[in-house]
Amino acid sequence: MLAMASPDTRSIALSLRNVSKTYGRVEALHNLSFSVAEGRFFVLFGPSSVGKTTTLRMISGLVAPDRGRVEIFGRDWTNGTIAGRDVSMVFQSFALYPHLSVYKNLAYPLREAGVGREEIDRRVRETAAMLRLDTKLDRKPGTLSGGEQQRVALGRSLIRRPRILLLDEPLTNLDAKLRHDMRAELKRLHRQFGLTIVYATPDELEALSMGEEIAVLRNGGVVQTGTPDELYETPRDLYVAGKIGSPPMNMIKGTLARDGTVIESAIGPLPFARRLNTAEPGEAAVAGIRPSDIRLATGAERGVTASIAMLEPLGDITVISMETCGETLRLVLPEAAASGLERGQQASIVLDPGKLHVFRASNGQAIT
Amino acid sequence: MAADTSIWQRIGFHRSFGVAEAGWGRTLAVAGVSFVYFLPVLFIIFTAIKPQALALSVPPTLSPTSLFGLIPDQFVFTPTLENFSSVFSRVMTGGGQPEPTGFDRFFFNSIVIASASVLLALVLGTLAAYGFSRYPLKGNDTYLFIILTTRMLPAIVVIIPVILMFRAVGLSGSYLGIILLYTAFNLAFTIWMMKSFFDELSTDVEDAARIDGSSGTRVFFRICLPQVVAGLAATFVFGLILTWNEFLFALLVTGPDTRTVPVAMNQAVSSGGRGTDWTLLAAIETLFLIPVFLVTFFLQEHLLRGVTFGTVRK
Repeated sequence: MLAMASPDTRSIALSLRNVSKTYGRVEALHNLSFSVAEGRFFVLFGPSSVGKTTTLRMISGLVAPDRGRVEIFGRDWTNGTIAGRDVSMVFQSFALYPHLSVYKNLAYPLREAGVGREEIDRRVRETAAMLRLDTKLDRKPGTLSGGEQQRVALGRSLIRRPRILLLDEPLTNLDAKLRHDMRAELKRLHRQFGLTIVYATPDELEALSMGEEIAVLRNGGVVQTGTPDELYETPRDLYVAGKIGSPPMNMIKGTLARDGTVIESAIGPLPFARRLNTAEPGEAAVAGIRPSDIRLATGAERGVTASIAMLEPLGDITVISMETCGETLRLVLPEAAASGLERGQQASIVLDPGKLHVFRASNGQAIT
Repeated sequence: MAADTSIWQRIGFHRSFGVAEAGWGRTLAVAGVSFVYFLPVLFIIFTAIKPQALALSVPPTLSPTSLFGLIPDQFVFTPTLENFSSVFSRVMTGGGQPEPTGFDRFFFNSIVIASASVLLALVLGTLAAYGFSRYPLKGNDTYLFIILTTRMLPAIVVIIPVILMFRAVGLSGSYLGIILLYTAFNLAFTIWMMKSFFDELSTDVEDAARIDGSSGTRVFFRICLPQVVAGLAATFVFGLILTWNEFLFALLVTGPDTRTVPVAMNQAVSSGGRGTDWTLLAAIETLFLIPVFLVTFFLQEHLLRGVTFGTVRK
């Protein structure tokens, strides 16, 4: 009998299982698990010192885990050497060799691999052309701009054609304009080479715009893994809900009403469009609603009356902060809809019952 | 270093932006202070080219030239190279023939002993410093402190047991003995200096090299060492100056064949019972200055650059 591979079961490039790592008394990673399919652009997302860099260093072999297992293309590399993993890494600090020219920086991994002089020359020039560094080959890294240094670091990682590329906050040290350009550049390179990429970032925008799959990290562990849409639509807990989406989700404290379809809160009853299975009536809960899921009430529609505390026009959209009954709610309106509004004005708003997220107040877990 | 670097640029007269930013007033003030620092050296050089009779003349003769009539004639002397030739051979006893003094040998000894011990300390100390910097032991700083304590005792306290031990094992009077002794004393300083240079380096760069396929040895030689060239140069020069001028150990541990210039200098002027020959002493000192002066001069570029990279002039 022939086993039919479904189109989505690509081979697993990388898998970390229950990995832990302690530095002194600091537990950097705690039972961290995730796996990355081959060719995937995978993002490790979380604030600084959450364990992203440690995770990448573990994949590259620079550090070994205290417990758990690291597999690369099906082979156990938990305590393996650095060499032979076919993994390369771009450091947050770029980590270029300051005493070597751009040419020699790019050539370095090939020289260490014993590639012939002519082949090195060909590939250095090819890589330099691809990253628009051809005119900089004789320069030392210190004389290059941040963006150029970044491209040298990328080139040095790509030149030996690794199967997995690790990127540790590669855009953090660049200015905003350059960051935008490099995001596009990285996506292009990913498509062009079909590389498996593991990309660590504390920046939500980078995570959502680049990641095909995102692992949200907290305290050295993975809280939730999913596509950007999954994380946005069905955050597993308050942490993920608060991290994904900008402006962040509005959180309203309340109590689940007896029939399990309404939260009683300071701004009134908040109905939601589904029945919760795991809820207990009377339980303290937090209702979450995205700023884009709140709108102004139209005509005779009954809404919550609130006063406008602040308007932040951002071009085609406007972020409006509204206050009602001691709660501050933020909503996002198209610029046209917000044009008539002024600070201090009263308005009636409607929270979309179909888009309400409910979390248990005690542990922050989503109630489904 | 580019071939078009002129001598003026080498000694610091850069035309580039920034060097003369302080302006003329401050530059002159610093020049004045520098002149005061340089005065003893200048005086020794002038004494070395004075006729012997004028060494202690009152009023002193100050200049080998009248600077176009600027300096009155009684302060001007006629320069001579006689003192330099008597460094290497001179009449030892009244009315006899000039005899070789052995100073060619003593200069050779000084150069061999100082450079061998400083280089040996540099090799060992750099390896040790890299270890202390990258693979810290439990109580790392304690070991570093203990290493430095060897330099806290006055040399005169240390040298007595050293003499006894050297006699016992036959190292007294040998090149190996004095080189080992100087190496041991340079080592503490070298380790501390080089450790601070290694500490400055980004460990990310070394990790990058590891991921790029380099072994630990290659990371050290191809990535770390080239980045601390300035540190090596600085440590070498400071170590060399300390060792070059060392007197006490050399006096007590070297023999007639391995005598260094400072010891020989002392013996040259205090023997013979004719009082101190100041012009001869000045001539020895002037010659003695030249090697260290040259080494420092050629490494100056590295010394000044310190550990800032990227803006390396080619």
